[in-house]
Amino acid sequence: MPSPFLTRNALADTDSLALLQLRRDQIIPTILRDHDDENQGYWEGKVTNTRFGSFPHSTLIGQPWGSQIVASKVDTGSRGRGKSAKRKAEELDAEATTTGAEDEKKKPSLRAPVSADSGFLHVLAPTPEAWTMSLPHRTQVVYTPDYSYILHRLRVRPGCTVIEAGAGSGSFTHASARAVFNGYPETDGTTKRRRLGKELRDHGLDGIVEATHRDVYEDGFLLGDPKTGKSPKANAIFLDLPAPWLALKHLVRNPPPGQESALDPESPAYLCTFSPCLEQAERTIRTMRKLSWLNISMVEVAQRRLDVKRDRIGLDTEGVRGATLFPKTVEEAVAKLRSDEQRAKLIRENRSTRDQPDHQPIAKETAFYNEKTDIPVYAQGRLTHRSEPDLRTHTSYLVFAILPRAWSEDDEQKCREQWPSAKVVRPDNEPKTSKKQMKREAAIARAKLREQQKESEEKPQPESEDKAEEEKIEEESTKA
Amino acid sequence: MHSYIRPGQFVAIRLQSDQLRLIQIIPDTVVNLGRFGSFTANQIIGRPFYFTFEILDACDEAGNQLRVVSATELHAETLLADGEGDGEGDDVETGENGIPMRTNRQINDENSSQKLTLEEIEELKREAGGAGKDIVAKLLESHSAIDQKTAFSLAKYTLRKRKKYLKRFTVLPLDVGLLANYLIEERDAQKSMELRDEHIGLIGCWGNVHHSGNIEVGEGMKPHGRYAIVDETGGLVVAAMAERMGILYPHDADEDPTEEQDVPASNAAESQPTDGPQKSRRIRPQPMSATTNTITVIHPYSQPNLSLLKFFGYDTNNPDESHPLHTHLKSISWMQLADPNSDPLYANEPPIIPAEELAELKQSKRTAYYHKRNRWTRVKAVVDEGRAGNFDGLIVSTLLEPASVLKTMVPLLAGSAPVVVYSPTVESLVELADMYSTARRTAFINKKRELESQSSEGEAVDLSSLHEEFVVDPTILLPPTLQTSRVRPWQVLPGRTHPLMTGRGGAEGYLFHGVRVFPTTQNIQAAGNVRKRRKMETTSTPISDRDVEMTS
Repeated sequence: MPSPFLTRNALADTDSLALLQLRRDQIIPTILRDHDDENQGYWEGKVTNTRFGSFPHSTLIGQPWGSQIVASKVDTGSRGRGKSAKRKAEELDAEATTTGAEDEKKKPSLRAPVSADSGFLHVLAPTPEAWTMSLPHRTQVVYTPDYSYILHRLRVRPGCTVIEAGAGSGSFTHASARAVFNGYPETDGTTKRRRLGKELRDHGLDGIVEATHRDVYEDGFLLGDPKTGKSPKANAIFLDLPAPWLALKHLVRNPPPGQESALDPESPAYLCTFSPCLEQAERTIRTMRKLSWLNISMVEVAQRRLDVKRDRIGLDTEGVRGATLFPKTVEEAVAKLRSDEQRAKLIRENRSTRDQPDHQPIAKETAFYNEKTDIPVYAQGRLTHRSEPDLRTHTSYLVFAILPRAWSEDDEQKCREQWPSAKVVRPDNEPKTSKKQMKREAAIARAKLREQQKESEEKPQPESEDKAEEEKIEEESTKA
Repeated sequence: MHSYIRPGQFVAIRLQSDQLRLIQIIPDTVVNLGRFGSFTANQIIGRPFYFTFEILDACDEAGNQLRVVSATELHAETLLADGEGDGEGDDVETGENGIPMRTNRQINDENSSQKLTLEEIEELKREAGGAGKDIVAKLLESHSAIDQKTAFSLAKYTLRKRKKYLKRFTVLPLDVGLLANYLIEERDAQKSMELRDEHIGLIGCWGNVHHSGNIEVGEGMKPHGRYAIVDETGGLVVAAMAERMGILYPHDADEDPTEEQDVPASNAAESQPTDGPQKSRRIRPQPMSATTNTITVIHPYSQPNLSLLKFFGYDTNNPDESHPLHTHLKSISWMQLADPNSDPLYANEPPIIPAEELAELKQSKRTAYYHKRNRWTRVKAVVDEGRAGNFDGLIVSTLLEPASVLKTMVPLLAGSAPVVVYSPTVESLVELADMYSTARRTAFINKKRELESQSSEGEAVDLSSLHEEFVVDPTILLPPTLQTSRVRPWQVLPGRTHPLMTGRGGAEGYLFHGVRVFPTTQNIQAAGNVRKRRKMETTSTPISDRDVEMTS
């Protein structure tokens, strides 16, 4: 099955990973199943429960990606402990006796879900970005602004091979798998293997990513055996390790005798290390210089997300949500003060006449603003933007470096034979014109000449022939 | 992958002054680097990228005039500039507090310290060999106040002089990242909309642009990897996306320099005879004929401006048929997309001439006929395909109003397809984000429902007033997100690590992105208000329940 990250069907299919988007940053990954694979005992089959209601997978499967799905009424309460245990026990018995056939029979018995009004979600096809947002955190995550820049700087393109050491949560793994597609990134988890392997299989990336588990400081990057293993022939390396300088000795053009270099001998190797502390980066760079890496540079990526809002200020905003009740101009402030003053005066006068028999209590305060505006609420106020409340102000220092391809005396000699150094045929400053262009110019010159001749010979002749000539030229050029 | 310098290829040459030059490497010519000297192109053809060459004063008997500067040598310099080269690392005299003792207190702010006169330096330049190394050494020697300099300022001084006099250059592969930097640093940045590396990366990732694989389009699947791009950067965005899709570089497959015997492809296309009898015609790939892994460019004028693609061997005026972009890059004008029948190329089908009649025609007429037929079929196919939509992503970097682009394009996207809009400045994108605000979405849904309830059964609902009020349909794009990113470069030297002191200003660059969704036709009631509020109290989640506010 092709990975849903790379090629997807038009519809959300059974057994495919789907990302259920509740809100911008709330995404729940789930694998769509037409049966209750975790055996949770819902009548509707597999159900994903969210803050906005329950979503039986039968309402998700077969929908076009991007569909808005309404929550269903799912009986979460009555599958209480005792009952579900009993159900499970029954099912276990059933499974013990009859296996496949029983499953088949069970499917139609699933209850059809009834829609509820508790909320909705959108079922999205997986992308590395959405996955990064949703992924179960294991270690520090490499977020989109960082990995997008890293992959771009590492020149990772279809067909490349990437080594990733310290796969952590796997966000970079997914993004680089997408970038290389028919090459593969190699992933080295230095610590515990964690759940990455299973995850990659679930996502259909196991043909693209080869996950290995080892201590790269000691054992390097060869596939299989650390000493005699096959070279992955990497074009790009990403090290998300606590001490990247210890791993650099395994990324050289001339490894110890008997070993292969882990790098692709026929292309430059691009390297990036990802370290949160300056000391780590400094030490890495010092080692890089010793090991002949070139174009060493260090950057940090600062990313911000912006919230867009309409800020409404004015005394006419009473009762409007999110608006600030405050004068919007000096004139409005003056008018408000004036009207307050008048009212105060009215009250004072009213009070002084309290004892008189014809005293009447003053009417309730009239609203300061009476006129209604035609502008709909969504377009009122000034459009503003500000950074989102929580910023990631530092992720890590990214150190980039390049190691040119291997180049021997022999290679150089071959090149010199093929391209003799002293050979110069054209002076370099002659303008380079293509044959076609030259032809066209010659044709135009010819046409002009003929035109002149014609003009001098007989005036009334129309220029039909020239036109034909020009058309012919155009044909030629388009044919080319 | 860029493994070696190919003949006919564009490369970037970085000079000692940090200047970048884009040069096409044509065999048997001389490459001139101005005051840094010149060399014959054959000396670098076939050689690896990222090598630094030094131009020697005299060539050897075979005519070689270039010397490869080894990495150790390059770094020896860097380390010298660090003030710690050649084991002088701890040379900086420090006082009790570890502060460098030599300071710039005694340094006079005048030009008298350098004892060599201008004439003498000119003389040196004429005489001195060693590619400028001698000049730098002499300059250092005759600087009267050299011992007053701190190690830091000495390093700076050496570096400055080195940049001026050393005849070295580095050959870099011309890829999208480098081209973007070149356009910003050396050219008019406005023309490429000041698009920086970090944004190119972000656009590609949020746009989910990738190679679509070689999987057969099976049942229930649609052709994948079809991206719509609106690009007014002269082709930079198209090139960046093509790079991600693996269709930018013509030579990605063959890597061995010794086996490469081809004439450069561009020359091959030119030298092909364009007329005369050609019986054994090879089947030429029809332009824009690919069905998967394609880019469709939508352009405002009759031709798209993709001039930057020439650096990658694809000239739109004189396309090279072997280049992958020839088949994978399609272009439609906005008019063809919105109103194809106004376009004569699309609407006027050239009449079909029967075969026997055709055989009697003159050769040129016949070619013209085939040319016109082919062009019409191509335009028709591309336009129809574009109008049918189902694109896998939309990438926009345009001078047009973004809302007007999205109004037309978002309905043409497949479900879950991402939309990315880049703009150098924030204002247009803030407006765009507001077009998709929750308040507007709610108002849109309410109005739509109102109109629907007014119309009688079975009758088509007149939604024109709705589309008048709302430029874009705010219900088919979620979640509207606006972001920006900037990379900060650092200087890393022992004891002197800090962010670079100066950098480039200009436009910050912003990205708007969202995903194409399909709203449900069901009437969604309030999202469980009571329960929600109770939940709020127990959990500490923020209260900005944007999507839930969609009540009716």
